[in-house]
Parts: sequence; C-alpha cells; structure tokens
Amino acid sequence: MLQKRFAPLCFALLTGCATGNYVVLLESPDGTTGAVVIEDAQGQTRLDRKHQGAVIGSSGFGSGPFEVGNLRIARDFSAALAAQPALPQRFQLYFKIGSAELTEESEQAIEDAFETIRQRGPSAVSVIGHTDTLSGQRWNEQLGLIRAKAVAEMLRKRHIEVIDLRVSSHGERNLLIKTPDGVSEPRNRRVEISVR
Amino acid sequence: MAEARGAVHRFAGHWPATEVTLIMVTRIAPVGKIARTVLVLGFLTASGVVTADEISEPIGYIMKVQGEATMTSRGQTIDARVGQAVIIGATLRTGAQGSMGVTLSDNTVMSFGPNSEFTLDEYQFEPAHEELKLSARISRGTLNFISGVIAKLKPEAVELKTPTGTIGVRGTHFLVKVSE
Repeated sequence: MLQKRFAPLCFALLTGCATGNYVVLLESPDGTTGAVVIEDAQGQTRLDRKHQGAVIGSSGFGSGPFEVGNLRIARDFSAALAAQPALPQRFQLYFKIGSAELTEESEQAIEDAFETIRQRGPSAVSVIGHTDTLSGQRWNEQLGLIRAKAVAEMLRKRHIEVIDLRVSSHGERNLLIKTPDGVSEPRNRRVEISVR
Repeated sequence: MAEARGAVHRFAGHWPATEVTLIMVTRIAPVGKIARTVLVLGFLTASGVVTADEISEPIGYIMKVQGEATMTSRGQTIDARVGQAVIIGATLRTGAQGSMGVTLSDNTVMSFGPNSEFTLDEYQFEPAHEELKLSARISRGTLNFISGVIAKLKPEAVELKTPTGTIGVRGTHFLVKVSE
C-alpha cells in the first residue's frame, strides 16, 4: 500500500533529478536488444527492452522498470558514450588447398582488411589460422600456423601500427563449415583476423 | 623473449604507444629503446617488484583517453594512455573532466564518463577449457558496456557489481550510473 503511494513521487524524482544508481538497456550494435538482470535487496528485476531502466537498490519506492528518454541518456552518459572504443571487427581470408597462398578473392579482401585496420588506429590484432580436415591433425595444426604467420608477415610489411599482435593456429579444430574427417572444404581453409 | 614482451606490454605506460608498437611490430627498435627496456626489466627483477611468474597476461587495452584518467594495478598508479595493457585487478579512474575506453580480449567494450571508478576483479577467457568469467565493480560514475564473447558463451558468468546491487549481463549493451 505504502509502496504504491510512493511510486509516482519516486518516478517524478527519477525523471526529474536522477537520484540513485540506475541501469538503462540500449540496443546492441547488431540491432538486437539483450537483457540485464538486476539483483538487489528488493529481489530481481529483468530489463529486456531498449531504453528500459531500473533503479539499483531502490529500497522499495517506485521499484520496477521505467522508460529512460534520450535527453536523460545524453545528460548522464554522453561522456561515457563518446569514449566508446571502435567495435571489434573480424575478417576471414581463404587459402588455396594445402598452401599458405591466398585465393584470388582473398588477395583483394586482405587489402581491404588492412586498410580498415589502418584506419581504426592502433588496435589489438589476433591472427588465427585454420584448415579443412583433409590432412592429418598434426600437419593441419602446422599448416594453420603457417597460414597465420603469412598473414601476420603481410601486416608487418605494411607497417600498420598495432598495440598487440597474436598469431596462433586452431588447425582443423575450429571448422567454419562442419565436415567429417578427410573432407576438402575451401571455406575451412582460412585465416581469421580479429581486430579490437 | 615472450616474457620480456609481456612485460613491455604491462609497463607500456612508461613509453608512448608508438614506441611500444615499434618494438612489437617492426622489431627494429633503436638500441636506446632496447637498452631502456632491459634497464626497466632489470630494475624490476632486482628490486623484486615483479617476478616472472607474477607477470600477468594483458586481458585488454586502454583504447581511448580524454582528460584526467588513471589506472592502478599492483599498487602502482599511472596516467592512462592509449595502448596500455589492462590486467586483472586493475582499477580505472577518471577525473572531473576525464573519460576512458577499454576493450577486453573477449571483445567486451567498456567506456567511462567523468568521476568514475571501476575495478576488474575476475577475468577468465579460455573457451577451449570452458573457463569463462568476468566480474567487475563500479563504485562511482558512469559506464557504457557492450558485452563480448564471454557473455555470449556463458551469460551467467558475467556480473557487474554496484554499491547497491549486482547487474547480471545477458549479452547486451547497457549503461549504468552510480551516484556518489
């Protein structure tokens, strides 16, 4: 009873002068909206719509989700939002069978990838080599690494500034297209460049 | 060499990011810089501040800085700069006009507005061994959070603590404000 009477008052306070700790859900970069669950002395509150907000530790008054407008988001979070780093990106480059030679399409794609990395500014880069399941597991581990090293070498030669560069192989353990053992699959013969 | 390079990352704060990049990427660091690197490492070893097994892997990097911003790890506070490695246990702080952005190795993207204080308590990102955990704390200020691979693979493994409650992250983008 008491809670109900206080709810409008607290809502007015919230929208007016933003007292207390609160969380707001936004749309994710991929266009979907996820969810957060707030756990405090009052129990659990789940938010799953964009611009939905909730007080954290509301002591019972006006608990429950509320709408947070763009104005309030801008007022409270514009500095935090402006400091958001560039979103991580991924590039897949494909190779000719059994070799560290890029396919013709990927020769162009790698130039586009390098240009994107250059424009992002110094980033942390992971280069991960993969193979199909055609050869033995041990050789595929090596082949993946040879491919990854070839891509890393190209990156170095272009003098693109990076903060961190990691080169590794997943061999045939991380197939893009799931196949049985001993299958030639062009889309699995690849190097993934992950930039963040 | 791998360890030495790890250390260079950790203490990247002592050099402008571009110098670190030179050492890392082109590996044609001028003699002076190598000498300085060796000197600092030598000092750390000699004084026992950091031993080899204590050198932590970077779990992320500072990607954006504006105004007053610092990072405290292992009792040392340094001015935050782009390219500095963030390790487990690090506390990030921003001043009245400061802001800062950090990207973690699992692609979690975070940024902070003015007067913020944030600590990364736990972090495990070993998908192959199913070791996944991200636990952090914001004690004041504002945070913009875009979850990464850990939240995608194991949503219940990501939590953000505030002084008045905990936010469980189910793979998403959200904002938090903690008033002082």
